[in-house]
Amino acid sequence: MAAPRHATMQSISNGGTQGSDRPHTQQSQQAQQSQQSPGLRVPSNRKTIYDRHLNRSRNAELSRASFAFLFGEMVTYAQRRVTGIQDLEKRLNEQGYPLGLRLLDLLFYRSTSTSSSALSSSSTSSSPPNRPLRIITLLHLIHGPLWRLLFGRAADALEHSVSPDTPNEYMITDNDPMVNTYISAPRDMSMLNCAAYVAGIIEGVCDGCGFETKVSAHNQPTELWPSRTVFLVRFGDAVMEREKVLERAGVK
Amino acid sequence: MAAASKATASSSSTVNGSISTLNNPRLLKMSYYFTILSPTDTPLFNIAFGTSKGGGDGIARFRFPETAQYMNQFIIHSSLDILEEAQWTNSGMYLKHIDTYPPAAAYITAFLTPSGARFLLLHQPPNLPSSTSTGSGLGSSSLLGTAGSTTRASSSSIAANPTSPQTEEAVRQFMSEVYESYVKTAMSPFYKQGMEIKSPVFRTRVTAAGKKWL
Amino acid sequence: MSSTKTSRIGEEIWKTRVDKVNAELVTLTYGTIVAQLCQDYDSNYQDVNKQLDKMGYNIGMRLIEDFLAKSGVGRCANFRETADMIAKVGFKIFLNVTPTVTNWTSDNTQFSLIFEDNPLADFVELPDDGRAQDELWFSNILCGVLRGSLEMVQMQIEAHFVSDVLRGDDTTEMRVSLVRYIEDEMPPEEE
Repeated sequence: MAAPRHATMQSISNGGTQGSDRPHTQQSQQAQQSQQSPGLRVPSNRKTIYDRHLNRSRNAELSRASFAFLFGEMVTYAQRRVTGIQDLEKRLNEQGYPLGLRLLDLLFYRSTSTSSSALSSSSTSSSPPNRPLRIITLLHLIHGPLWRLLFGRAADALEHSVSPDTPNEYMITDNDPMVNTYISAPRDMSMLNCAAYVAGIIEGVCDGCGFETKVSAHNQPTELWPSRTVFLVRFGDAVMEREKVLERAGVK
Repeated sequence: MAAASKATASSSSTVNGSISTLNNPRLLKMSYYFTILSPTDTPLFNIAFGTSKGGGDGIARFRFPETAQYMNQFIIHSSLDILEEAQWTNSGMYLKHIDTYPPAAAYITAFLTPSGARFLLLHQPPNLPSSTSTGSGLGSSSLLGTAGSTTRASSSSIAANPTSPQTEEAVRQFMSEVYESYVKTAMSPFYKQGMEIKSPVFRTRVTAAGKKWL
Repeated sequence: MSSTKTSRIGEEIWKTRVDKVNAELVTLTYGTIVAQLCQDYDSNYQDVNKQLDKMGYNIGMRLIEDFLAKSGVGRCANFRETADMIAKVGFKIFLNVTPTVTNWTSDNTQFSLIFEDNPLADFVELPDDGRAQDELWFSNILCGVLRGSLEMVQMQIEAHFVSDVLRGDDTTEMRVSLVRYIEDEMPPEEE
């Protein structure tokens, strides 16, 4: 690891020594910096994204129809740029991925900034949230807090593969996924595809936490739940190795 | 190059710093180098500043100003292996003091975002006037002792001792405030993980957090 | 219909007849769409604006059905009433905001919608590339939505943004112009 690290060491030039000695030096560095990035124009009230409280839209709601329309257009648009269903799912997955990273930061920010932790499902402790170190903690984070943030309720089931050949496989089940229920268009779309977006979100959350994963969505209808979807989470070998080490070390 | 004049300038400021330190231990000023690294160790943001608490001017005065940027980055990067170990044993976001680099008397404090960005803060106390105070190796702790007994200890101890509970709490506040701005940056759909953070507003926010807590 | 009555209709439908979803899911999904377009079109923002408008047009043509079903309102008496209906019922039930209708031309064929709040743009900072703030209309999909939905009720309109707080303007303003009423024609094919 040491070699690539040192290679990247000086790839940022701006601001590196800012303020390191005398004021006149500092000034010239600021000038240089403003040349590099003059910044964006802001309204006369000077409001930027940094002035907007991150909890402002915390409990805000919008129409489900609006989401369905937007999502439908996103799928239609993606469909025109791909060659097959797998390609389409890959693309939707990729679009969900960065959302997972964002939601992860947002979830943790919210649980640090308020007394009632957004991350704790049962306890009322106000201690700072913990980064998931173990697979099961991570999956609970997804099954509970992430699902609640996105869909207003926890997912319906969380299971571990019973097959000894696939100890790295876990399943998160949603009996009635919103992304499928409200997608009326395009009508020829398999339900499977839309949940690929959510699979991408899950993948982003896992990867962000340092758990290299592949997540796929599978339509597994039952009589009671015709659009029941199972998200199959498959952790990489390195994750499984680390899991063993952490287990032995007693890390929770 | 302006290297020569720069060196002269900085040595004179070091002298000034030493004199005030000598006269009043509570004015011991820390120099800070703060950096954000992506999960793959790409630097996303850097800033250097100095103590503002207790009447500090907020300007960094590293011990070897000519090489400070290189040294600071070197020291921070050499703490990453320790950080990676701490990352998987301590589930907090704020990992506190993780590493010390004795040759430069540099202390590293770390904060990990859940999405894998690393916030690293290097603290370096100023050069102590070793020629005038003998037994200088222990100088900083004895200075802390003096400061700790005074009523205005809380602000000055941040500057005096990089591993004291007061310092850890102040740094925690600083990190949390930066984290808030970081999340705001990362929430924008145009920000992609690993992109350099160029926003002058972000820089202003980090500077303000440094002024407020350190 | 009076303006206050229109407001009440909008409020009432929003409260009782609209299925809701977390606003941030919508906001972030829209952001994803725009960011993806910017990437696909290699930051050719004119093309991104066009594509957003087109997507909005497709949405508008379907959305109007939902709107009519939920609101149960009939044909508006004039374009002023239409503007009120768009702002206080349409935007209310689909975006939970009520833009201000203003800046009418004397012939009552053009007005502005001023957006105090715009959930689509929450969390958004445009790329600092020296062009996006001059060229990209981040919320341009809304223009298409209006165009598409009004076309389905026999009104040909033109809509475009004239300012946006994301560009550093003090307001977010959309200009809407009535081109003509479409008489006895078949609705156009989907784009």
